[in-house]
Amino acid sequence: MSQQTLAEKVGVTRQTIIAIEKDKYSPSLEVAFKISDVFQEPLENIFQYK
Amino acid sequence: MDMSYKEKSLLASLGATLLFFGWYLYGAFSSLPLNPELPGFIEVIILVVGFIILEAIIQSFLAIKNKSQLEDERDKLIEKTSSRYSYGFLAVCIWVSMVQILLDARFDNHLMLTTPYGMFHFLLLFFVLAEVIRFGTQLYHYRKGV
Repeated sequence: MSQQTLAEKVGVTRQTIIAIEKDKYSPSLEVAFKISDVFQEPLENIFQYK
Repeated sequence: MDMSYKEKSLLASLGATLLFFGWYLYGAFSSLPLNPELPGFIEVIILVVGFIILEAIIQSFLAIKNKSQLEDERDKLIEKTSSRYSYGFLAVCIWVSMVQILLDARFDNHLMLTTPYGMFHFLLLFFVLAEVIRFGTQLYHYRKGV
């Protein structure tokens, strides 16, 4: 899935997806749950607390 | 350098603010001892309207070239963080101005800041610097994260 497609499904900009991937932005719970919903994966499989 | 629409828009606003008001303030402060007259009301209106028109032209041009102008939670967080820095700076400047006025009244110093000309231009300078801080910190957070 492209960054643009994920961004559109989640309702954020592509730059926000890039920032999340690069660990430069921690998304809100709402966006985190939407991302896990898109991938049909539990939240802890996608995000880790460091 | 790959820049998003938001970054381009901020950079354009920063450049326009620095050029437009920088040019005006440079002229105002370089002629300080010679021209202690306040600028006319019409001159200030022309300055502000001119800046708004310039900003509108630049932003419209950028909006035409960039399809996506969606604003999300990250944009709002960056804007809020930057506004806090900008507000902090402006608050300090206002307190300094108030203390200067009080000192001037108490000791009869007649500092440049407390003349109508000085006060007008220092307040404008503080406002412009606060804007520069707001745009600059937003650009920083877009690059380095928030």
